Amino acid sequence: MAAYVLRRLTLFVPMLIGIVAVTFGIMQLLPGDPAAVLLGEDASDEAVREMRRALGLDRPWWIRLAAYYADLFRGEMGDSYFQNQPVVNAIAQRLVPTLEVAFVALLVSIILGVALGIAAAVRRGSLVDAACMLFAQLGVSMPVFWFGILLMYLFAIRFDLLPSIGRGPPLLFAAGQALAGRPAALGESLMHIAMPALTLGLTNAAVISRLVRSSMLETLGQDFVRTANAKGLRPARVVFVHALRNALLPVVSVIGLRFGALLGGAVLTESIFGWPGLGQLAVSAISQRDIPLVQGIVLTFALAFAIVNLVVDLLYAVIDPRIRLE
Amino acid sequence: MMRIRPLSCAALVSAALAAGPVTGEQIRLGADVDAGTLDPRVMRDTTAYRVNNLLYDGLVQLDASLQPKPDLAESWTNPEPTVWIFTLREGVTFHDGSELDADDVVFTFETILDPDLKARFRSLFTPIETIEAVDARTVKITLKEPYAPLLSYLDMGIVPRDYVEGGGDLSSNPVGTGPLKLANWERGTKIVLEPFADHWSGAPEIGGFEFVVVGDNTARAQAFEAGDLDIIQSPLSPQDIGRLADDDRFSNAIMGGLGITYLNINVSDPLLGDAGLRKALSMLVDQDTIVNQIYEGVDQVASSILLPSSWAYEPSITQPGFDPEGAMAAFAAAGWTDSNGDGILDKENANLSIVLSTHSEDPNRIQALEYIQAIMLQNGVDASISISDWPAFSAGVRGGEHQIALLGWLNIVDPDRLMYAQFHSSGTLNWGGYANAEVDALLETGRASIDVGDRTEAYRAAARIIADELPYFVIAYQGYQVFHTDAVSFEPDARGMMRTAIGK
Repeated sequence: MAAYVLRRLTLFVPMLIGIVAVTFGIMQLLPGDPAAVLLGEDASDEAVREMRRALGLDRPWWIRLAAYYADLFRGEMGDSYFQNQPVVNAIAQRLVPTLEVAFVALLVSIILGVALGIAAAVRRGSLVDAACMLFAQLGVSMPVFWFGILLMYLFAIRFDLLPSIGRGPPLLFAAGQALAGRPAALGESLMHIAMPALTLGLTNAAVISRLVRSSMLETLGQDFVRTANAKGLRPARVVFVHALRNALLPVVSVIGLRFGALLGGAVLTESIFGWPGLGQLAVSAISQRDIPLVQGIVLTFALAFAIVNLVVDLLYAVIDPRIRLE
Repeated sequence: MMRIRPLSCAALVSAALAAGPVTGEQIRLGADVDAGTLDPRVMRDTTAYRVNNLLYDGLVQLDASLQPKPDLAESWTNPEPTVWIFTLREGVTFHDGSELDADDVVFTFETILDPDLKARFRSLFTPIETIEAVDARTVKITLKEPYAPLLSYLDMGIVPRDYVEGGGDLSSNPVGTGPLKLANWERGTKIVLEPFADHWSGAPEIGGFEFVVVGDNTARAQAFEAGDLDIIQSPLSPQDIGRLADDDRFSNAIMGGLGITYLNINVSDPLLGDAGLRKALSMLVDQDTIVNQIYEGVDQVASSILLPSSWAYEPSITQPGFDPEGAMAAFAAAGWTDSNGDGILDKENANLSIVLSTHSEDPNRIQALEYIQAIMLQNGVDASISISDWPAFSAGVRGGEHQIALLGWLNIVDPDRLMYAQFHSSGTLNWGGYANAEVDALLETGRASIDVGDRTEAYRAAARIIADELPYFVIAYQGYQVFHTDAVSFEPDARGMMRTAIGK
């Protein structure tokens, strides 16, 4: 197990090298000059040239790429062109809020998706099934952007239940406070995270519910379920213990893959709800051609994605003892 | 309760009568972007511009009609055209408790002029030859040549020399002399300001002022409707403006802004070098529909390069209007006819093909460009469209690679700012290489003369030539909109500045 984890972690190195090269290449091919954006539209060509020199953009691309790798090796990511601070700091400030909303969204989508999927599968062909699958259809086809604005209209303007924008106290801190008997912060934190997490998790919930439904249907038709039923076990026990555990296997692997979509969705969700995360930062970094910052964010996303998938693979072995990690 | 009520009624009435803040309130303003840096010398975005206006004082402040008013400079003289002498106010302190003197003013402008600081606004100050501290309260600016717009640019925030030279980082820990100081900055979320008790004019009577960042225009409007913001302002979606304007919980000001939306017609392009063709194409731009339908009337149909809010404005200077039939005659006069009957104008066996370009960030601009394209296609011009994001698009325009580009200029506090660099043959923003000796001479006069009458005449004459030769076709004067709740009251300012909202 430890050897397996170690081997997987070593594989991160070539992956990161490749991702840096690809991101760097795309940023090079993208027309638009960071120096010109930095100085604004009323800058002279001479000023832009001077700025390119100051930013080191006048050096050939291979030298810049090599310098970036050297930076990474030292654990640095260079300085942001626009933020007057190291990329590492800029990302560090934004990482926790994004992970916070992504994980709550993941949780919401798993609970919602699994519950709806089971309900639909157990009551196959009924009104419940139709309703669940209609929800899934809507969830998959509704743009994140539109759904976010709609939620905000309903819960912040119409019914005035939730704050429309911003982040409350950090979730982990608030959870700690709640454990210590002071639940106010947790309430506030959850009120703020509710709409962004629901917006972000909706598509995911829809995808998971469809998957759980079909996986459940397949499992429910298998011999061991018939045997369990024949033994006279309570239906709930058959569904939740015998069938669900087997039906969840394909779902778990998809959850890992969907985490990438969650990080991508964070880009839109965060700019709607004024959520101070990496997604919002990514949008501004790309539109400003802030190359070091874009590279840093892409690397961070890639790393987060890779780690989550590693965790999913480990989970796999836990859920299904037949699987051995070699 | 009973005893408090009459008091609070009185407070409400007085707040409603006097323009100014409601005492003790925390004012929350929705901003579209976070500030990049709070060092006024290197600021780049509108949020920094508006925050810094509260954190720092300038030698002057521009009032709502953009006239310079004394601020840190209590008076000034202009003994000869190239010399300006400013007398500083006494007893002004920075947020760190140090005293302001002439050295700080000299330091501010000397560092801006130093290319290594990479100050965005450096070019506005390059006509300055020297700036010196005559004594602790007197600053003397000597210009290379007379430069009339100077005063309009001296609202630049003055920074403390000792703090900066001692390693202080203004970009994240700003120290100014302004009426508010930084309390807390959560990057990407909000900038929180609090009253500065030792401001030379007294502390503002508000609890604090927050700039809350919400990137999406509609989401920001909804946060305002939900009561989570007190003020929102341009940029707003035309669609939201209509709805908010009908909501009687909110007050608003919808006024002329300081920007234009225009077509940059590249005069160095082999086809578009012909002024006759530029004129014919301009007659196919239906300004009325673009401004009143696509922009839902929040902007104003433009007639020339001079803004209605400017002292130089003259309504009789006009560009060609929308006139497809007239355009046909103008095309024919320039030698373009449909000789082979394929529905597209041609000349010497070449079709009239034009590429229209703009950037992808503003859906209304894309829609306007598509509309212009449709009318051109109907009238025999083979028009195509090229859309890319702002950095890519602006790189193309800057390199003079465009044919006709739709874009805008902002913050035109003086006609010089929109004309000298853009139309002077040696101008730094003259991307199409427009050159007209008469315009050069007029723009030099406009810059050098300090007599408003002479300047007005020069800019009007230049605007007339530009409306005729059309290196630019100005589509719209951009509007400025601000909405606010009854918790605040202020005098709207087209630059979006908030000084009057805190009573300063």
